[in-house]
Amino acid sequence: MSLKINTPPPHGGKLVDAVIRDKDKAISMAVGAIPYDLKATRDPVSGLPIRNVYREIMSIAYGFFSPLDRFMTRNEVESVLKERRLLDGWLFPFPIIFDISEDDLKKLSVKEGDRLLLRLKGQPFAILNVEEIWNFDPKDLADRTFGTPERNPEVVKRKFDEKHPGWLIYRSMTGIALAGKVYVINEPVFKDPYNRFWYPPARSREEMQRRGWRTVIAHQTRNVPHTGHEHLMKNAAYLGDIEPCHGILVNAIIGAKRLGDFIDEAILEGHEALNKYGYISPKRHIVTFTLWDMRYGNPLESLLHGIIRQNMGCTHHMFGRDHAAVGDYYDPYATQILWEKGIPSFGLNAPPYDLDKGLKIRPVNIKEFWYCPKCGEITYSDTCAHTDIAQRFSGSFIRGLIAEGIEPPPIIFRPEVYRVIVKWWRVYGYPFVNKKYLELKERELEADVPPMDVPMKR
Amino acid sequence: MPYKISVILDRARLERIKGTPLERLVKDLYGGYLKVIELEVPDDIAQRILKEFPRARIDARGFIEETPVAFKRELFEVIAQLRSVSKEIFGELLKPERLSRVKELAAKEEEYLPPPTLPEEK
Repeated sequence: MSLKINTPPPHGGKLVDAVIRDKDKAISMAVGAIPYDLKATRDPVSGLPIRNVYREIMSIAYGFFSPLDRFMTRNEVESVLKERRLLDGWLFPFPIIFDISEDDLKKLSVKEGDRLLLRLKGQPFAILNVEEIWNFDPKDLADRTFGTPERNPEVVKRKFDEKHPGWLIYRSMTGIALAGKVYVINEPVFKDPYNRFWYPPARSREEMQRRGWRTVIAHQTRNVPHTGHEHLMKNAAYLGDIEPCHGILVNAIIGAKRLGDFIDEAILEGHEALNKYGYISPKRHIVTFTLWDMRYGNPLESLLHGIIRQNMGCTHHMFGRDHAAVGDYYDPYATQILWEKGIPSFGLNAPPYDLDKGLKIRPVNIKEFWYCPKCGEITYSDTCAHTDIAQRFSGSFIRGLIAEGIEPPPIIFRPEVYRVIVKWWRVYGYPFVNKKYLELKERELEADVPPMDVPMKR
Repeated sequence: MPYKISVILDRARLERIKGTPLERLVKDLYGGYLKVIELEVPDDIAQRILKEFPRARIDARGFIEETPVAFKRELFEVIAQLRSVSKEIFGELLKPERLSRVKELAAKEEEYLPPPTLPEEK
């Protein structure tokens, strides 16, 4: 058996490509379909936009979520909630639901078997073939999606509530779902700076081949990188096969985020600055993104990350402490528990790579990097024994520093990365996600949709 | 478990505490690139701070972070005035009139924070 690792197949065996690039075909699919303008999911208390389903449509149609090619039926959601599997058996962590209000359902008079023409920014964008219309209880769905301390004691430490942004997304859904296959019929055009980071799975795989990368390690991010992230990337990448991984693929999650997180443009350009200024050679580092309103589901989110990045062609995935987490709902090492031994209460009796119809991507579970004043350098927490004096990295601390207008020292934050933050701070008048940014982002989105005329009748 | 909160000391703040007993409490962070004063926060006070400022949180180090800038500024002011880092600091800081002033400033701060001038632009 060769010790060399090669690009894994897509999850489910084949990449979904539900983008109709032939304009005539796209128009013929749209003719006669019932038009519906996509709306944001909003927090019922603050009214703030917390999700736009267009991001899920893009991630389905461009193959990030392969083999998922549709919005889920009731049975499929039940299967996901019970054992985190699609109806065809492939692992998948989250219900993916197209919800619609009762008013809209009545106005549209949509029924099973109809086609919906989904419009974005007033233009035709996608087609949803309505196979099933079903009802659900949003709170029950939210609880079952993320787990409870009683049902999932291995990893869930605290009952989820409105303060958890992912739970809030499901809790804020309407309770009426339209299920069925979805197709993008009019490709959105990404705006600057998103356009240069758009590498859907097929393109990402081509790019890896072009660069001659056989082994690639994925880095999940929702952050502007501090040097702790940089050390995580550089050191995790040593684990390849007979040599370190050829490439490091940074994949940022772009969408509505929690108040106080870094803004999306700064996340992408902040990571780009690391290769632009040579902290990680651009020959070995690429920055990309996935559209997804993050659910902050720690181990479950890591499963989605594994799927996305395997589909993008990565051989390895690094997972650190508090992966995709917010607050103390989950054990800080819940993701690593999943990838080390599985979480039976979620139906995952073994790690995702040891399950039938599981994942082929290899986890690289890493604890943390800290600054050790005795060693005088940034060290790995399992290597350095000066635990009593070690100074841990804290994203919250660094955000506090930035908010006070103090440039973080270069040992924890690269000056060029800080300048990216300041650049976007000047654009938005704020360095982090705030209410104004969320509303603006919902209005503008990451992309524009080109005009497309659809005749009323064939 | 008592939590902690730290106040970052830039040049101006270091100057303010020069020659006071506070100087002995200054701690180096990250190889001396940053100077801070750390305070212990009893659990009941930590919970109160988290309640008053919903975006504040306890980070992985057990520190209360992401409080408004106005809160941190006021905290430093109280430390500098009382020349202490004991529990009485929080009694003073959380007095209704002080707290409402901080909250007022914090609300404005959520809309806009002035971007810094970079050293090369000075």
